[in-house]
Amino acid sequence: MSIPLHHVNVLTGLKGCRVIEDPQALGKIIKKAERPLVVFGPRCLDIAMGEKLAVQYGVEIAKALGAAICATAHTKKKLLELGVVPDSAYDAVEIINHLKDPNWKGVKKQGNHDVVMFLGMRTDFGNQGLSTLKHYAPHLKTVTLCPYVYPHASFSLANLKADKWKEYLEILINSLN
Amino acid sequence: MSKGQSKQEEINKTIRAEDNWEPIGPTSMPEMSDLRRWDMRLLKTYKPFYAPFCDLCCFCTYGKCDLTGDNKGACGINISGQQGRWALMFALMGCSAHGAHARHLIDYLIEKHGENHKIDLGGQVAVEAPHIRTVMGLKPETLGDLKKAIEYVEKGIIHGVSATHFGQEGNELDFESKSLHIGMLDHVAMEAADIAQTIGFKFPTSVAETPLAALGWGAVDKSKPVVTCVGHNAAVATVMIDYFMKAGTYDQVEVTGICCTAIDNTRYSDKTKIIGPLSKQLFFLKTGIADLIITDEQCVRCDIPDLARASGSALIATSDKISYGLDDVTHKEIDEIVRMITQEGKQVLIRDVDKAGEVAAKVLPIVAKGRKKEIVTKEKATELADACKKCMLCDRVCPNLLDISGAVSEVKEGKFEKMADLFAKCIGCGKCEQECAKGVPIITIMQAAASWDTFNIRVGRGPIHDVEIRKVGAPIVLGTIPGIIAIVGCSNYPEEIEEIAEIAEEFAKRKYIVVLSGCAAMAAGMKKDAEGKTIYDKFKPDFDAGGVLNVGSCVANAHITGAAMKVANIFAKLPLRANYEVIADYILNRVGAVGLAWGAYSQKAFSIGTGCNRLGIPVVLGPHSAKYRRLYLSRKEEDDWTVMDGRKRELINTEEPSPEHLSIVVESKERAIITMAKLCIRKNDTAQGRQLKLNHYISLYKQHMGSLPDDLQNFVRNDKDIPIVYKKEVVEYLKSVGWHPKPLLTLPTLIGTYESNIPIDAVVK
Repeated sequence: MSIPLHHVNVLTGLKGCRVIEDPQALGKIIKKAERPLVVFGPRCLDIAMGEKLAVQYGVEIAKALGAAICATAHTKKKLLELGVVPDSAYDAVEIINHLKDPNWKGVKKQGNHDVVMFLGMRTDFGNQGLSTLKHYAPHLKTVTLCPYVYPHASFSLANLKADKWKEYLEILINSLN
Repeated sequence: MSKGQSKQEEINKTIRAEDNWEPIGPTSMPEMSDLRRWDMRLLKTYKPFYAPFCDLCCFCTYGKCDLTGDNKGACGINISGQQGRWALMFALMGCSAHGAHARHLIDYLIEKHGENHKIDLGGQVAVEAPHIRTVMGLKPETLGDLKKAIEYVEKGIIHGVSATHFGQEGNELDFESKSLHIGMLDHVAMEAADIAQTIGFKFPTSVAETPLAALGWGAVDKSKPVVTCVGHNAAVATVMIDYFMKAGTYDQVEVTGICCTAIDNTRYSDKTKIIGPLSKQLFFLKTGIADLIITDEQCVRCDIPDLARASGSALIATSDKISYGLDDVTHKEIDEIVRMITQEGKQVLIRDVDKAGEVAAKVLPIVAKGRKKEIVTKEKATELADACKKCMLCDRVCPNLLDISGAVSEVKEGKFEKMADLFAKCIGCGKCEQECAKGVPIITIMQAAASWDTFNIRVGRGPIHDVEIRKVGAPIVLGTIPGIIAIVGCSNYPEEIEEIAEIAEEFAKRKYIVVLSGCAAMAAGMKKDAEGKTIYDKFKPDFDAGGVLNVGSCVANAHITGAAMKVANIFAKLPLRANYEVIADYILNRVGAVGLAWGAYSQKAFSIGTGCNRLGIPVVLGPHSAKYRRLYLSRKEEDDWTVMDGRKRELINTEEPSPEHLSIVVESKERAIITMAKLCIRKNDTAQGRQLKLNHYISLYKQHMGSLPDDLQNFVRNDKDIPIVYKKEVVEYLKSVGWHPKPLLTLPTLIGTYESNIPIDAVVK
């Protein structure tokens, strides 16, 4: 079992994430989604990855997949500045609360999502939300796109250094296009 | 068990049923399930949201049991039941901490003044104890009556703890109902504690403009003997201060404190100084500025004996709840104890308040002699940081996810800016130092990067005045004062400590009433503007629009919730006596109050928040509070928002999610501000009031999110609600989302929407 970067997130249990080290393999998994959703947390506004911000990588992934976008915290403003109108703006726990319900209509009112990707949340806060989904939303798969192991996700990246993370996301985006 | 005749007679005796100050309502001294139907009604809309920390249960010898998926434990409990049990245990721990605190204070003060010592909170506070009046049905008149309140709380705690045992409760909603009950009892306990210390120690009351006291570690004159009191119980400090005053030596010493004891010390003497909140405990004690440390109870580090030894500070522990394995010298003569501390260097436990206070006063000047109190210089810090190999283990164990290794690396190069930023975000746990294989003393290095500025804080004023309630009651209920913002709780902040001052100022400028307590009240004072003014210098200390006031330590939180109850009583003329359901219903539907516990970490904060929730007051929590594992959330679009129109006696589907949640975690300061503005919206708002509230909600949303709120349609009932300044764009937006006017209603109430013994007449006076 992979140990998360931040020890506050160490798993106390048996059901942990599958770490996907190959970005193309992750690409294959998320491409199968019928109604994917990308949830943006505030930390992706502050992380510069070369000339782009992490939020821009998330937008590219969402666009490549045709995924719906949910802006949490105060990320909506930056998304709008980037010319992206999010399909919804919730607090993180609100969108998670909706996702628990298999009969929820989803942010586009087309049915609940089957694969939900998270980018830019505090790892401790994010891992707690993923715990909710692990326990209460067996109908969906969760994917984390940050460079940390999230034990409560279905699929997580490994703990990666900044340059490796950037490389991972770029390969992932290429594999989706 | 239902109440039999003898039990009712006992209750009647306890509350002096024959006193006719108000008619006795339906729930005098309610037991654990007497308000269960109210709880279930709340939980129908605000369902528990669980985020389990652990997949397993390890409570009994059947375990460990895996509770993932459909798995049940060997006892039959499932993951939701287990989370509900955790919630109840947290509430019990918090309530017990306040209850035991109150018990100690009341027992001590009864020894000192007698059971018949009168409760007199001054000319401005006639409704002295809204919680005790409402929950118990007792109008407390003496210290002896406060003892009755604590005895009642203690009984409730026994039943609550019992329910957590193997083979007892298993349903999450019933666990939550019990948590809500314990949260309610917590406010009774806090109220009893603060009234007791206010009358027993003559703390300020019936005065709004209390003095300003010095705040910050930089405020301490370390050339004098320094005593630092850590915890929540000021009893020992009051005795010590009296001793110094009697001896004429008070101006020759520095009496300082950390956490709530510090706040209450300033209520006893505004010459005492507040070092800061809990998050600065480890930092300050490591400086060695304290010649003597006195510990009492709650939020005190478990390793203070080691810290004191390392920094050369003397230590007196004074609470049987934190004995540290020290020799109990309570039975010894004072001079003998002084000798043990000053000559043998012993750390001691003294469980007698008066003796501990006198010993401390005698010990302080002796232990202070010859001590060198040198703060780490930048040169020294650079030297200390040199051992860092940037293995980043410190980063991995930091509960606040901070880039510690980056800051230490810069210190190695003589740069301190990053370390100063880190210090502002540090929650002071010390895990980084513990983890460091090279022994880099990271918290000690912070001494060279921290600001040693001096701030100020308004001395805690205690209860809100009845006359203030008379003045603001109508504007609050009508919505023309947009809300009461209560900023409370601990200092486990996700970002800079200054965020508290920023949030408070945002709402004060917008003419909300901003009330603070405990560590949050300290944090709010730790930011100065360009003119060197803190929030306490800039805003009036009144419970009025645009006021910023500090009620006191965390037990004074009961005065904040009590103010909401007083609105129902003094303004709306609803009787408080044994009338909890009616008062909570009134607050939920008509009093736009919301709490913010941005740095909540303790079980006490959880319990306080849960008590707020039962009373109909929503609470916003910072991101660390996701680790409490339980929230109360609605699903705004999906849920049923039907209420009873009290005047027409008709059920009305308002389609309006107000308040939208009872307990919610948000991740950023910006989102917290927006959420709080929204959670002040109540169904009872007049058009003028709703316009004002929406004006702030829209303005804040646009500022932080860059657009109109995308749930605006939920809160506009008709076009009169639309703020004039945004009229055009709001009308266009509403048209685009197919908004339709919502039914108007008067006197909204949940009574009548669920099975209850309360007649609607009871809520429409």
